[in-house]
Amino acid sequence: MPSILPQLIINGLIAGSIYALAASGFSLVYYVVKFMNFAQGAIITIAAYLFFLFGSVLGINYALSALLSIIISILAILSMNLIVYENLRKRKATNVVTMISSLALLIFSSALVLAIFGSSTKTISLYNKTFDFGIFTVTLIQLIIICSSVFLFLLLWVVLKKTRLGKAMRSLSDNKEAAQVIGINPEKIYTYAFIIAGILGSISGILIGLEQNLYPRMGVPIIIKGFISSVVGGINSVYGSIVGGLFIGLVEILGIWFLPSGYRDVISFSILLLFLLFKPNGILGVKKRDDS
Amino acid sequence: MIHEYLISILTFISIYSIIVLSLNVVIGFTGLINLGHIVFVGIGAYASAILALNGVPWYISIFAAGILASVFGAAIAAITSRLKGDYLAMVTLGLVFIAVAVSRNWISLTRGALGLPGIPDIIKNNFHYMIFTMAISALSVFLFYRLTNSETGKIFQAIRDNEVAASVLGKNTYFYKIISMAASTFFAGIAGSLLAHHLNFVDPTIFELDFIVTMLVMLIAGGLASITGSVVGVFILYALSESIRFIVVNPSIVGAFREMVFAVVLILILIFRPRGMFGKVDI
Amino acid sequence: MLSLNNVSKSFGGVKAVDKCSFEVKENTITSLIGPNGAGKTTIFNIISGLTKADSGTIRLSDRNIADLAPYKIAKAGISRTFQLTKVFRNMSIKDNLLIAKNANDNDIKKILESVYLHKPLETLASELSYGQQRLLELARSLLMPHSLLMLDEPTAGVNPEIRRELKLILRSLKKNGKTVLLIEHDMEFVMGISDVVIVLNEGKVLKEGKPKDIVKDKKVLEAYLGK
Repeated sequence: MPSILPQLIINGLIAGSIYALAASGFSLVYYVVKFMNFAQGAIITIAAYLFFLFGSVLGINYALSALLSIIISILAILSMNLIVYENLRKRKATNVVTMISSLALLIFSSALVLAIFGSSTKTISLYNKTFDFGIFTVTLIQLIIICSSVFLFLLLWVVLKKTRLGKAMRSLSDNKEAAQVIGINPEKIYTYAFIIAGILGSISGILIGLEQNLYPRMGVPIIIKGFISSVVGGINSVYGSIVGGLFIGLVEILGIWFLPSGYRDVISFSILLLFLLFKPNGILGVKKRDDS
Repeated sequence: MIHEYLISILTFISIYSIIVLSLNVVIGFTGLINLGHIVFVGIGAYASAILALNGVPWYISIFAAGILASVFGAAIAAITSRLKGDYLAMVTLGLVFIAVAVSRNWISLTRGALGLPGIPDIIKNNFHYMIFTMAISALSVFLFYRLTNSETGKIFQAIRDNEVAASVLGKNTYFYKIISMAASTFFAGIAGSLLAHHLNFVDPTIFELDFIVTMLVMLIAGGLASITGSVVGVFILYALSESIRFIVVNPSIVGAFREMVFAVVLILILIFRPRGMFGKVDI
Repeated sequence: MLSLNNVSKSFGGVKAVDKCSFEVKENTITSLIGPNGAGKTTIFNIISGLTKADSGTIRLSDRNIADLAPYKIAKAGISRTFQLTKVFRNMSIKDNLLIAKNANDNDIKKILESVYLHKPLETLASELSYGQQRLLELARSLLMPHSLLMLDEPTAGVNPEIRRELKLILRSLKKNGKTVLLIEHDMEFVMGISDVVIVLNEGKVLKEGKPKDIVKDKKVLEAYLGK
């Protein structure tokens, strides 16, 4: 058995990178805007299908297709914010209500994709190459996925730690009232947070679309894994989603060594429950300040 | 023909009423955001189907479905008792994926994706079955009305409004949350059983996610913590859902269109009228 | 009747309560005072079981209650209010009170009169002003069967009229043999009503004594005004 271990670890890293990509935008919005945005799954789905539409159906070159998909996805997430979330914030809706509305947006987008593209699965066939390292093999796209998750993680780190915008986001996350008092406009920062989440989500969507099949509801399981990754990594930290994603990916792959592969979701969900019960602050263990 | 159509609609409305009412007990009255309610409906449907296919009489299978769903519901409430709000929502939503995984993969019990066909009717005559589901629905309205107006029901509401205050007033909130979930999921299981015996078939698609939005829109449009609201909500939205069938010409996108309409209606209610028609509380 | 012995609690390295010991005697009004962050509310939360102490014992009439769940401590006879009032917003005044104890309309009216809350029984708690919500919470904690009543800053954010009424309420409680533990910032209020005053600073008991001794104490002044 040990001979396939390296391959399993690589597969786990690939799956984990996909979860981390999905989780990054989700946890950025949770960090700044303070609600669980299911619609991040919608952005992933929309971007994947747009890339399929431009690249595979219309035959536009893939770089331009990717760019167009990213731009339209950003517009999509901004309109969700403008039409739905901003109005909910105006009437001071709770984060549960906002979360439910994001679930409705996810279902809406999946249904829209279903109505336009039909229920059959789609594949994007792009140039791909397999590298054989003897003890394991990996494709070019898989390598790109692993590298992108690291790259986007670094990008997020730079934005949050090194820019004025990042400082504003962190102060807003820490204490909204205090941030407003020192001249930060929350709505403006939220808009930027959604734009970044849109970029993260659409790049994830395109990469996931290259690696897996496309189907209208693909965003749902992906965003659930994104949520699990965020919690396991530590939901009060944006970087937690990356750590959690890789961790979940690895444990799932190693777990289905022992269990039928259909039980993959059961494994990650069990880990989620264990963390929620025994280590609710996640691997990185960043604690939310006590309000009392 | 139109007659049969009406009977079918009223049967579904009765079953949906039980589902939405029972969801109202946990979300509206106790404040536990359970997004995995369909799991308990599904457990009821599967339990009832498996028992009935093995020759167990319906009055036992229907009851066993409720009990089994209730045991699962109580267990989930016990495990998640420390979780609140959006966390609880996400975890209960995750249950749906567990249910899908188990129903697809425990082939020896569920036949996986093939599903379980040939579940016997409880009552052959559709009209009589409609009366039967209406009676059970009416019974659940009565019982939930009694429950929510009882001392226990008041404690549920106290937990919803402020769990800490309820606990320093000597209420074992852990216990009451379990009771709330157990009562709610018992009826979800019964409804699942009625559904299985009516459709004569159950497969993993019972756990479709869009059903959660359907339930939530019926619940919230009717109004949280309102028994009347749940029944009226189911009526109006089921009627809306059926009317879509006549508006949309292309039959292959009826389902997708319905989901889109429900999602939009849910969002509009949440923005403009969060208490729905008869709601008494906000979540 | 209530005694804390060497109770400590840290939050992530910060000692909120540090080897705190004191006693509340029967039929007294005892006040906890001290600057912000002295650990007063944490002590209340530890006594009522909402926060678990890291070490130390808490005895209520010779029964160790330190490890009990909040609802069991409540049943053991401790009733409390909160600094930020916790009423059941979507429930009527009557239902708010019935959660504390099954009572008939007459008893409910009587308890509401005793806290000077004159509103129809079916009024929703969310429709009351903040001061009225505090009175409702007070009524609720009075109605719940208890041997010790703990009030966390009852005068905070209420108008002077209600403040005067509170004084009357506390005096009549004492007259009726009740025991009260109070957290309070309003010094005039505290000194006018307490039998014993306990001064906390940085989680420790700084001084314990009669109001008139506390007023004169130098250390207490320093804790409040800084050196």
